[in-house]
Amino acid sequence: MRNSCTALVIVAVFLAIAGAPPVTADDATNPEATFKAFRAYFTKKFPKLALNDFVNGPYSMDADLRKQWQQIEELPPYDFAIERGKDMFAAAFKNGKSYGDCFPDKGIGIRQNYPYFDEKSGEVITLELALNRCREANGEALFSYVKDEMASLTAYMAFTSRGKPFDIKVPNDPRALAAFRNGERYFYTRRGQLNFSCASCHVQNPGNHIRTEVLAPALGILNAMPIYRSEWNSMGTISRRFVTCNSQTRGVPLEPQDEEFRDVEYFLSYMANGLPISGPAARP
Amino acid sequence: MRAFFVAASLIVIAAAMPARAAGSKADVDAALKAAQDAENAAGALKNRWIPTEQALAAAKKAASAGDFDTAVKEANRAEALARASIVQAKEQETAWKALVIH
Amino acid sequence: MRSGRFAAGVVGVLLCAGSFLSNGVSAHAQAPAPPGQALAFDRAKGNCLTCHDIKGGDSPGNVGPPLGDMKARFPDRSELAAIVFDETKRNPESVMPPFGRNLIMTRDEIEAVVDFLYTR
Repeated sequence: MRNSCTALVIVAVFLAIAGAPPVTADDATNPEATFKAFRAYFTKKFPKLALNDFVNGPYSMDADLRKQWQQIEELPPYDFAIERGKDMFAAAFKNGKSYGDCFPDKGIGIRQNYPYFDEKSGEVITLELALNRCREANGEALFSYVKDEMASLTAYMAFTSRGKPFDIKVPNDPRALAAFRNGERYFYTRRGQLNFSCASCHVQNPGNHIRTEVLAPALGILNAMPIYRSEWNSMGTISRRFVTCNSQTRGVPLEPQDEEFRDVEYFLSYMANGLPISGPAARP
Repeated sequence: MRAFFVAASLIVIAAAMPARAAGSKADVDAALKAAQDAENAAGALKNRWIPTEQALAAAKKAASAGDFDTAVKEANRAEALARASIVQAKEQETAWKALVIH
Repeated sequence: MRSGRFAAGVVGVLLCAGSFLSNGVSAHAQAPAPPGQALAFDRAKGNCLTCHDIKGGDSPGNVGPPLGDMKARFPDRSELAAIVFDETKRNPESVMPPFGRNLIMTRDEIEAVVDFLYTR
């Protein structure tokens, strides 16, 4: 009885998988229209908030927190990460090349262009992925996406782009549109035993608090990355934050830089086009 | 007469003994397999839950310790959780669209 | 000798019967559910304070409405239990976790939480 029941579940799931690949672009995929609607939702919800202030997350939502933040910024806790990142970035690989050789403009002042859709390989390339691909291409071991080395490198690169507006492109290529749409799908999909989507907190409840933690709006939520989070007593990359968010729904996290994670980063970054890079930044 | 009293004592002892529930090794193996199969299916949908993994681990630990009753109980719980996560993933294939900002 | 073997046979049958009988009783015995307040405030169970202000709790969140005057607001106990079990049935956009449907709490635990809420 139990075995045939299980077999039915397996067959049903197999059929489900066979019929349900990651979302492809459909007639509904219109990044510009999506952008406009997303932007209007948040500016209407917070009419007194200056547009650029959205990148400050919880500090834009709560005056008391903002005061604490201003005090923290007198001695920024992420300064050490910028310094370390600068040294790492300048140091040569064993083969004599360095990070600058992998990136346009020697990797300086380019963070706002990531992620981008690579039409040659047909995939979304995030900054973290590009850094590790650079290491790999030059015979160096990969860094963990969730630890300090990657945080330091991305902190430095964000720092060189501070103030520059996000400039993410979704080319009129069905694969790019599919990646964008997949990121949007991931963002709104409920997951984990607690049944939360990203939108549950960051679209439906920005400015509200869960216990004492103030929820950030989804608009501009990646502009401050990587962050020094007081709760972690350490830096956190985009990968680290996504993995933690998964766990907070009581879902087993995807692997860092999983296609879903890259696509949702692509979607969220495009939604923030025009908003300034503020990273690296402090958070509670 | 003596045999009668021996029999009576044995009956009393037997009635006082706790029950052996469904936990035979074969039952444990079947329950674990059902749970793992369901969890693998949830994994294929990229929607595994943390409590499912915890229940599975508890079931395996109980099984190797010979505590078959607990092993079956935990494996059944893991299977129920895995099935719930599959239901969620399947519903969400379409349900997400209703929450998109318009 | 014959009576001994007979007695052993009877004992054997009764042992089997005994084990079947006790099977029915103790396999379904459960520890009593902890009091509702403990469940409501336990982060692994109801974790209600994360989103709701409830008298007796500290540092509540405000994602959901404060939970007071519950007997007056929810005179139908089954309605309140259904909300805890799966609020998305009533409101598909709700961010409240479906504590029953997703097996976060058992039905007994949900009933205990409802008992507690009726005291708030």
